[in-house]
Amino acid sequence: MALLEAHSLTKRFAGITALSGVNFELKQGEIHALCGENGAGKSTLIKLLSGVYPFGSYEGELRLNKTLIAFKTVRDAQEAGMAVVTQELSLIDELNIAENIFLGNLPQIGFRVDWAKVYENTADLLKNFDLKLSPETKVGDLGVGQKQLIEIIRAINKHPSILVLDEPTAALSDHEIELLISHLKRLKAEGVSCIYISHKLDEVFQLSDRITVLRDGQTIKTVQTSETTRSDIIRYMVGRQISDLFPKRVNTKLGEVLLETDQICVADDNSNQVFIKNITLQVRGGEVLGIGGLMGAGRTSLLMHLVGAWGKRVKGKLYVRNRLVDNRSAPKDSIKQGLVLVSEDRRRYGLIIEQTVGFNISLSHLSHYAKFGKLSLLDEYDDNQKMYDFLHIKAVNQNSSVEGLSGGNQQKVVIGKALMTEPQIILFDEPTRGIDVGAKLEIYELINRLTDAGKAVVLVSSELPELMAMSDRIVMMHEGELSSVFNRNDYTQENLLSAAMGQL
Amino acid sequence: MNLKLIRNLTMPLALTLICIYFSIREPSFIGPRNLTQLIVEFSITGTLALGMFLVLLTGQIDLSVGSGVGLIGGLSAVLIFQYNWPAYLALLTGLILSVIIWSLMGYLIIKQRIPSFIITLGGLLIFKGFFWQIIQNSTIPVSRGDIENIYSKLTTYYLPHGLGLLLAFLIAAVLAYLIHSERNSRREHHLTVSSPYKSISSWLIITCGLVGITIIFNHFRGVPLTLLVLASTASVVYFLTQHTSFGRYIYAIGGNPEAASLSGINVRLVTTLSFTLMGVAVALTGFMTTAYSGASTTTVGDLMELDAIAACVIGGTALRGGRGTVGGVIWGALIMTTLLNGMTLIAVPPEIKFIARGTVLTLAVWLDVQLGKKK
Repeated sequence: MALLEAHSLTKRFAGITALSGVNFELKQGEIHALCGENGAGKSTLIKLLSGVYPFGSYEGELRLNKTLIAFKTVRDAQEAGMAVVTQELSLIDELNIAENIFLGNLPQIGFRVDWAKVYENTADLLKNFDLKLSPETKVGDLGVGQKQLIEIIRAINKHPSILVLDEPTAALSDHEIELLISHLKRLKAEGVSCIYISHKLDEVFQLSDRITVLRDGQTIKTVQTSETTRSDIIRYMVGRQISDLFPKRVNTKLGEVLLETDQICVADDNSNQVFIKNITLQVRGGEVLGIGGLMGAGRTSLLMHLVGAWGKRVKGKLYVRNRLVDNRSAPKDSIKQGLVLVSEDRRRYGLIIEQTVGFNISLSHLSHYAKFGKLSLLDEYDDNQKMYDFLHIKAVNQNSSVEGLSGGNQQKVVIGKALMTEPQIILFDEPTRGIDVGAKLEIYELINRLTDAGKAVVLVSSELPELMAMSDRIVMMHEGELSSVFNRNDYTQENLLSAAMGQL
Repeated sequence: MNLKLIRNLTMPLALTLICIYFSIREPSFIGPRNLTQLIVEFSITGTLALGMFLVLLTGQIDLSVGSGVGLIGGLSAVLIFQYNWPAYLALLTGLILSVIIWSLMGYLIIKQRIPSFIITLGGLLIFKGFFWQIIQNSTIPVSRGDIENIYSKLTTYYLPHGLGLLLAFLIAAVLAYLIHSERNSRREHHLTVSSPYKSISSWLIITCGLVGITIIFNHFRGVPLTLLVLASTASVVYFLTQHTSFGRYIYAIGGNPEAASLSGINVRLVTTLSFTLMGVAVALTGFMTTAYSGASTTTVGDLMELDAIAACVIGGTALRGGRGTVGGVIWGALIMTTLLNGMTLIAVPPEIKFIARGTVLTLAVWLDVQLGKKK
């Protein structure tokens, strides 16, 4: 029986049709996966279903249990039994886990909050998810993966009839993903319906009953998961066959060492606690050094430290293109030396979100256009346009606000900003997180092009297949320390994973 | 498209309505004498608002400028009246001191990571204390006896009629040249160029406006010097925000300081510099407003920080930083000044003026929040 039905939904933004005539049906007690490239319209559809875009701002009709619905606000949708977990976390850092989970529906005795019950229930919920955390832990102290889980627990705790999960596993470890999947199956058995958005086809096939594929704002197909294959789904998504996700690499000649660290130990600026221990690594021109590891192993901190954005070096030496770098070095100095970082958190560290594409692309490179202090705006515009075309950024034009772009296109803007500075060493931190297959492929090709041109690339990634296909050498990081170096011929998923868990 | 047009027309429309109301209540409102006074007051508020604009863009705020205006104006007056310094030297000293104080304050805010709200709130009280001490709670004229000097002439000097007109035409000529060269270089870069008729007609409108206003001023005494101060300040701030890296950087810092820093921007230096420029605006405003009241007294500069913030916010500058335009600030200052000037003219009691000022400020901030939400 259809619980939720959407008929010929059309949603337009100024000049762009995000959805055109989308049909979608969710049955009672079903897990329905939604697949599609970034910009295909998945997030728009979710926002429409959950009341973010109110009734009247779109065309078409929505029915819940056969009755027409008109959500005016997100709250309307919540009251109708909808719970949504999006990629953007909505937890309050200053409150603890229990307060966050029960925020908005605190159990009461008379006028008084029943805190005993809150903490007891939270402890049970955490135990269910195998989280060894106290309910009184401040959410601000948690890692991204743990926050994501708390967000999901909060949604489930509202006992929704429809649970919507948008890329819930992007930040989760394999173990956490397994737990999540088993919980979702339990909920399904209890009759809860679930809309599940993920770029990870393994999960989609493991979990879902049916799959709906969106492309360019249209429904391409809805299929039974048991009657389809991964390559079919990818074909529906991109509209073309992707025979090999990872583009072939031509072995390039190695250049000289561009980035080198010698036994560096780094402490946090505020707490003075040493997080990064005895890291020694070398990256040459023309090669990709992969850094793997579990969430919280210190990979992001290491990259942030290399560009001078985080930490005090208490021991060891850092050389960028054979020049010794001292502790006072800031990102602006790194950029001058040809070292740039493409951060994993593009909203926080990458973009000036309300400004235009062009504003962001040229931001690190403005001094190049200044003559006696005056910017040559048209030269800047020309160069921006070249980068915009080179990266195939999809927007109305370079004067569009970055805020309205899809995740993949926002990521391209961040990469464009880095490339504008004509860097020699590029650090990529999870460059393909939350990005669709097509955009991933483009980024892989770009990395290959960079190494072909003699640049050095450091690639941090949590996806082992990606790391193994793209890297010339791989080091795994575990609790702030590096494992031995794996060369192209001697890495397997198994030995990399054991190194990540500190077993080697 | 239409929405944008409506938003662009809101402020001219609001100003027109305010003007019509006051002219009906008191016909002398649109007389040349009052208009000239209004322009002097507008120049004073506008100059301070332009400084505040740069600070707000970086996501900071400055509550100390009202007291600072009093302090710097008072200091220069004391140097002239009690120590017999030449006026230009007294003004220069005030300017340099102001620049130093605001640079230090900016540095303190950004280096120690203390919210600017707190530091400048402290500044408000401290500067006021020093101000009153320097003028010893009395009234210090800006000149000795009846001898005029550049300080006292700051708000009483008007351009000779011929010179005013010449200047208007000169500005129009420069504008024509700028439009022309912009069109040429756009063509060189293969960008779309609007039709020549459109460019010429908008240039004509601006020129007619310039000359028309000059003629109105000439009916009274001429173009006031303070308007030139404001126009120069506005041109400099416009150039800074639209045509320099510094300008881009303040928008970037206001939009996202962490991303700005990782993009290679020296956040500390740029933020401190925006406070330095605020110091310049404080000194200029201090001189003009003290000269306008003829002498330095304890009430000079009172609540001017709020008028400046209100002007910025009315003009669409976001309090959390990263959004706003010079044009908007100028409109905001004009609306704010017109309201205050008109209320004084129709003899609104001071207590009601306070309430009106507060209401306008609150409404403007409310509007800012609403606009922020829409984003």
